[in-house]
Amino acid sequence: MSAVRLIARDELRLMRRNRVAVIAFALLVLLTLIAAMTSWTHQQGVADLRARFQSEADRAFDAQPDRHPHRVVHYGHFIFRPLGPLAAFDPGVDAFTGNSMFLEGHRQNTANFGDVRQSSQLIRFGQLTPAFVLQILAPLLLIFLGYGALARERERGTLRQLLAQGVSGRQLFAGKAVALGLVAILIGLPAMIGFALIAGQPGALAGPMAVIALGYAAWLLLWTLVVVLVSASVARSRDALLALLAIWAVAVILLPRIAPDIAGQAHPLTTRLETDIAIQRDLRQLGDSHNADDPFFAAFKQKILDQYGVARVEDLPVNYKGLLAIEGEKLTSRLFDRYAANSFATQSRQSTVMNGFGLLSPTIALRHLSMAAAGTDLAGHRRFLDQAEAYRFDIVQRLNRLQAEAVSYADDTAKDPGADRRKRVADSHWDRIPDFAFRPASATALVGAALPGLAIVIGWLFAAIAAAWFVSGRLQRNSK
Amino acid sequence: MSPIGHELRLLLRARLAAGALVLLALLTAASIVAGLAEVRHQQQVIERIQPQQAADVAAISQWVSKIEDPGSAAYYTFHPTWDSPSSLAFAALGMRDVAPYILRVRALGLEAQLYDGENFNPELALPGRFDFAFVLIYLAPLFVIALFHDLHASEREAGRLTMLRALPRSRRLWWRRGLLRFAFVYFAVALPFAVGAIVSGTGLPTILAVLTLIAAYLVFWVALALLVGRMSWSSVTNAAALAACWLVLTLVLPTLAHVAINRAIPLGQGVELTLAQREAVNKAWDIPRETTMARFFASHPEWRDTPPLPPEFHWKWYFAFHQVGDESVADRVRAYRDGLQARDAAARALGWALPPVGAQAALTRLANTDLAGQLAYQDRVRAYHERLRQFYYRYLFNDIPFGAPDFEKAPKFGSIVPSK
Repeated sequence: MSAVRLIARDELRLMRRNRVAVIAFALLVLLTLIAAMTSWTHQQGVADLRARFQSEADRAFDAQPDRHPHRVVHYGHFIFRPLGPLAAFDPGVDAFTGNSMFLEGHRQNTANFGDVRQSSQLIRFGQLTPAFVLQILAPLLLIFLGYGALARERERGTLRQLLAQGVSGRQLFAGKAVALGLVAILIGLPAMIGFALIAGQPGALAGPMAVIALGYAAWLLLWTLVVVLVSASVARSRDALLALLAIWAVAVILLPRIAPDIAGQAHPLTTRLETDIAIQRDLRQLGDSHNADDPFFAAFKQKILDQYGVARVEDLPVNYKGLLAIEGEKLTSRLFDRYAANSFATQSRQSTVMNGFGLLSPTIALRHLSMAAAGTDLAGHRRFLDQAEAYRFDIVQRLNRLQAEAVSYADDTAKDPGADRRKRVADSHWDRIPDFAFRPASATALVGAALPGLAIVIGWLFAAIAAAWFVSGRLQRNSK
Repeated sequence: MSPIGHELRLLLRARLAAGALVLLALLTAASIVAGLAEVRHQQQVIERIQPQQAADVAAISQWVSKIEDPGSAAYYTFHPTWDSPSSLAFAALGMRDVAPYILRVRALGLEAQLYDGENFNPELALPGRFDFAFVLIYLAPLFVIALFHDLHASEREAGRLTMLRALPRSRRLWWRRGLLRFAFVYFAVALPFAVGAIVSGTGLPTILAVLTLIAAYLVFWVALALLVGRMSWSSVTNAAALAACWLVLTLVLPTLAHVAINRAIPLGQGVELTLAQREAVNKAWDIPRETTMARFFASHPEWRDTPPLPPEFHWKWYFAFHQVGDESVADRVRAYRDGLQARDAAARALGWALPPVGAQAALTRLANTDLAGQLAYQDRVRAYHERLRQFYYRYLFNDIPFGAPDFEKAPKFGSIVPSK
């Protein structure tokens, strides 16, 4: 065991003497700290901004004057997706999805104003976050620091000397790997300090944070082993460097770009415009609300009249127009749910194809696990959209019920100059409509979503360990 | 054998170099194919919405033509708009994957419709597209580094450098060798692009502009590699230094600049604009209708001498307050747009210092897939929406019945604007 320690200490001493290596390491640490700081303040700023918008929107809604309930259905409500504390570490798709939504009756609007459409093109070069530094840049630093670990010894002939002195190939490999592994831990440390800052915030969940920490630790160790493995397998250090750069470029840059293209081509999405048209078509097939003799709406009317035991809608104790609005909203909402479920099913199929590439490129698996645990992946966005739709349906139906109960049918159909006044209900009602409160995912759900990615990254790590065992055992034979 | 032929043989015998060049050509070709496929898909979507849209309008026409009510026609009928990809869009998809390229609008307030998003999977958009711009900007420099980092150093490490330098006309040897490698990299990138551009029907000036851009961008990286190569370091140090330059120029500095630009140029969030527009529109129900009409007539005097509002609901008041709502946020719209453009301009200015950013900006500009392209599309939607409003106002304000044939008369997106 002491041989391993000696080798590791020697390697570390060598790295410390290498000025370029020290500067590169310091720069990366600095960059991580900057990333953690900016990402954290950005997350705070965005969270505050959205909270402020949300309270303004809530206030505006409550401050409406006396209005006809159906006017309020069209006045609608604005809601904003809050940003969880872990988004400071990995904002995931936050910049790419809209974060505000206008909710109104009969329509399902998109989430609008994502950062990607409000920023310069630079956003497409990546966002400086701790996750970005660890996913993309940290492996590159490990490559720069470690490509020569064994290739250098072989190139200079010192590898044979070392082995002749009785150090086993496995000890030598382990020593080099331990040295680089320590560096990897040091690289990961600043991001983890940032993480600890986040942990102090309310709403930060321990389980997902542990999964993220575990995932990135496995990721950095995987690269440590890959670097030493390649260095052990090629003849010259230059070849080791080029081979490692090629592996990095393919696994970290190229495959994560190719995978979404293939996924998108394999499962094309229906556009929003087509979905809108299809929903309108389906609605017309259910019944034509503009036609007084439409069988569907005639049957509905008859059902209501029977229920209350009256002959005419004018004799109903409630406002028939309100009941009709409730029924109409039920129909459209059911269609919205169905089409949204279809769209999300396609999107999950796309994501499944893409995550399948994680088997080829652990970067994809790591990114998925990181976003999933942070709650900033597609599922997190869907959680917001689903809750938004449920809330939209709830407030619209409350307003429709208000129309049915608080506005009389006679007033609602009246056209005299004073009718507008009589149709309105008191502004005290708006206060009683509940505000939107986003329910974030539970720790168990987040951890569960992150597990497949974690399994792939750890699987890769085990494969690398097996390869290291094999290659280091043969180091003796391939020492020249 | 000619000296060039000799160098060619040397280059092709080096497995690393030959393999790298083939790989680069394959990757470029793949990106071109992917880009062309995406553009064809977008064109197909634009084509296939037309009959669906026509069926939708026909269904509305069926019941509206019975009551001949122009207000219902204007309220219920959506009109499609689209932003066809340019002939170069396949090379740089730019913002086309996150911003809608089809949008349908109706004659109501535009500011509540213009910023709607498209269905897209954000997890797919996050890593960016695999298009030609990506291969050129990110991958090609890595190949340049692989081929140029040891131009001198390999000869030194093989012990031949002093001998080569002693040869007469040795400078020419380096020129020959460097140019040959450059030519190979250039053609590995440019040839697949040129084929794709011809398939896509790109105009010759645009093709030449992109070919020049490719050359300029690659020259920058070759020059950087040669500069580093002059430091008389070992080939491995050269490679490490160049990879570090690549990292800083394509990943680190752009992400830092993104943070800096968004801080330096704060943008009134677009959502503030829509919130304000919604307040303005809905307020109309709570103020005297005459106030709204007065404001409307002030900016649209051509409808002033039309019949007065009847005591009951009339659609022309409804559309008037939507128009007034849009106009009340015109200043915010301008400020929002200026902010977007300021951010874009800052990134463009940075392109002069960071060639990867500059190349991306230039490519997306040529392909009209950048912010300017987006805003131009919004402008076309705006102009079209204005024509739609004028079309319906004629019926609304003059109480002209709106029959089935009138649906056909509605202005079509993309057709020539009639002279006023």
